[in-house]
Amino acid sequence: MFNKILIGRFIPGHSLVHRLDARVKLIVSIAFIFVIFLATSWPSYLWASAFTLLVVMMTGLGLRVYLRGIRPLIYLMLFTTALQILFVTTGPIWWQWGWLKITEDGVVNGIAIFIRFLLIILISTVLTLTTAPLDLADAMEQLLQPLKKIGVPVAELALMLSIALRFIPTLLDEAEKIVNAQRARGVRFNEGNLLQRVKAFVPVLIPLFINAIKRAIELGDAMEARGYRGDVERTKYRQHHWQINDTVALLSFIIFSCALAWLRYIFG
Amino acid sequence: MAINFQEVGFTYQAGTPFASEGLHDVNFKIPLQQFTALIGHTGSGKSTTLQLLDGLTIPTVGKVEVLNQTLQADTLIKTTNQLREHVGLVFQFPEAQLFEDTVLADVMFGPLNFGASKTEAKQRAQEALRLVDLSAEFESQSPFDLSGGQMRRVAIAGVLALEPELLILDEPTAGLDPKGQADLMALFARLQQERHLTVVVVTHQMEFVAQYAQHVVVFEQGTVVKEGTPAEIFADSAWLRERQLDVPMVRQFTDLLTQKGVALTPTLDLDQLTDQIVAKIQGGRDV
Repeated sequence: MFNKILIGRFIPGHSLVHRLDARVKLIVSIAFIFVIFLATSWPSYLWASAFTLLVVMMTGLGLRVYLRGIRPLIYLMLFTTALQILFVTTGPIWWQWGWLKITEDGVVNGIAIFIRFLLIILISTVLTLTTAPLDLADAMEQLLQPLKKIGVPVAELALMLSIALRFIPTLLDEAEKIVNAQRARGVRFNEGNLLQRVKAFVPVLIPLFINAIKRAIELGDAMEARGYRGDVERTKYRQHHWQINDTVALLSFIIFSCALAWLRYIFG
Repeated sequence: MAINFQEVGFTYQAGTPFASEGLHDVNFKIPLQQFTALIGHTGSGKSTTLQLLDGLTIPTVGKVEVLNQTLQADTLIKTTNQLREHVGLVFQFPEAQLFEDTVLADVMFGPLNFGASKTEAKQRAQEALRLVDLSAEFESQSPFDLSGGQMRRVAIAGVLALEPELLILDEPTAGLDPKGQADLMALFARLQQERHLTVVVVTHQMEFVAQYAQHVVVFEQGTVVKEGTPAEIFADSAWLRERQLDVPMVRQFTDLLTQKGVALTPTLDLDQLTDQIVAKIQGGRDV
């Protein structure tokens, strides 16, 4: 039931993308969200799609894995697209019914938004699929390091993030176990009307929260018992080493972005 | 109709990169109205087998026959709900499933789900609570204020209140104190005797297996490697030790004596062993 959720899941591998420094992947994924807005014409969308597809192929995980990752978000994507199509009212009208009209600009905008959405999700999925959660948290901590100077508790934030990431699979397993236990007691999930379906989850959510809180208290106690303090300079077990591949990856992304900007300049 | 596994296989998350085999080529029978113990290492497929018995998961290959229903790959999971009405499944650490405000409400939850009236559910819940030795004063308490052992018993009562024909328990005594463990196992054996239930227990405690089980099924690496009576299973202690399974104390003691040249008839019963030893000692004196 919960094992279809791919968000935040890491699949170990040895591809070039897997081996890149988590910092590069994080920077590129975040930068991509902004850079994609440079795409305004079909050639530039084609270029951005080609880049994304290349990265996806390079992870060596197969397209099916990604399609499964997109599936839970498809409604959000379609909803956003539908909003664009219905509420952009400039340009030649294709269809009209009362105050509802579908215009050429709306459809073009809708498709553009859909592609943007899709590409951003794909690139983010590449990040989470190929980067171990703890590496990701480390990378975030290192990139946020400058903020320490203005009093942001970077180490604590990173710890919170890595604990949260670490416990996603645990909580999913536990949720599955509780779901099964309640099914054994006659609860029917995914049956009946919306209200019944929502109500069916109460017997799952309550134990899940209680156990999560218990676990958090235990974890806190265990950390304190071992003398953990967040505010001291600590060294890392895993060291990140910037390698030539990382420079190449970053340069490739910069070239991709420049090309995108150039396409915008040419095609408007 | 006995409970029957035929060539059963189960793959977790089949068709995804996380696919992993849970069971393969599983063949065994669970006799009705008997006490059956499933033993084997952690990860040997016992818990998956229990979920198949309750129709919570459907085998990827082969078929499972349980209480007049046949489960196989094309069985719709929705149709297994009626099976669950007759099967009570107690998961490992079942106290994690408690959620209601009061103990009574939590135990009534199952019967209500299966369509019992409020009065009937209440009566069944109270009966189940008495069975697990929780008096009326607990009924209005919050399950979260109880001790771990009491929570366990509330959770078990929640399943007993379903009045199942087939009662399945996954390591019901794990983490309890010795007395709590013995009490619970004795309760399951008593229920089996008095109500003619079919009881299936997964356990690592061979003492209980030797004491109560009538049928034993041994799991190893996702399949069944041996089944038989406790006497048959525990006859070969070397085979069990190879699989890092415990051998009951009585059997260990007999083995040690046999090694020292004392000829004894194998038994799993402490009294029988004592009688034999006493007879030997007296026999020695007479000579």
